[in-house]
Amino acid sequence: MAEMQTQTELEAKPKQKVERREERTRPGAYFQPAVDIFETKDELVLVADMPGVPPDGVDIDVEGDQLTIEGRVRTEDYEGLKPLYVEYGVGGYYRRFTVGDMVDREGIKAQLRNGVLVLKLPKAHQARARRIAVEAA
Amino acid sequence: MALVYRDPFEQLQTELDRMVNAAFGTPTGLYPLVNVFDAGDAFVVKGEMPGVDPKSVEINVEDDTLTVRGERSFAEPARDAAYHRRERGQGKFRRVVRLPGRLSSEEAKATYRDGVLTVRIPKAKEARPRRVQIETA
Repeated sequence: MAEMQTQTELEAKPKQKVERREERTRPGAYFQPAVDIFETKDELVLVADMPGVPPDGVDIDVEGDQLTIEGRVRTEDYEGLKPLYVEYGVGGYYRRFTVGDMVDREGIKAQLRNGVLVLKLPKAHQARARRIAVEAA
Repeated sequence: MALVYRDPFEQLQTELDRMVNAAFGTPTGLYPLVNVFDAGDAFVVKGEMPGVDPKSVEINVEDDTLTVRGERSFAEPARDAAYHRRERGQGKFRRVVRLPGRLSSEEAKATYRDGVLTVRIPKAKEARPRRVQIETA
């Protein structure tokens, strides 16, 4: 097999399972999405890989200085399928970040397309919890 | 005895989790990771490749082998951007998957949804399960 993979430059990292401390009503496994976070003069941008999550399957919460992203996969895609060979687990995604005071919570924009969540967090000063609706791609 | 509710997807999740952690674990140096399912009259191969332009993906089925080639690339942020985290990879990929049975490759279908590639390849007619009726004398 090795000689057949010579062109491969991209390498998949194993999905990291996350244990969530708080009680959940929804059972099942959660994984930590891989993220890029970068900062420009005007905003903080968070990009997260959440394959299998449809645009309406993501929740973003900001409370205090904590930003939480959570994604749920579509389960009906697996009906009638019997696993033969498995390289990755399937489940939701969950990750929490500390954003501090720099973010204008009212101006946060979210978009999910092809399993990639892009969160734009404009810089400002405000402190109040709210929930952000995701714009469908 | 109390009834314990477990939905079919949760059972599948548990099964996938068990299988991914059995003998082999997650392979390294490959992209995308794949799960192979038996759907009765077809094999279904799923691979997580979020943020890939489906137009850049080439899929071939020959004999018992599926080959997926493509590239994951995304626009670099502005020059003044400073990275806080960088976990998402980009680059070319090529994945070869051998399936455990004869295929009807000309009927293969591929879809890309929410960052997950699904290739459904019907089994060769003679390899599909068939129910045999008992003839009564």
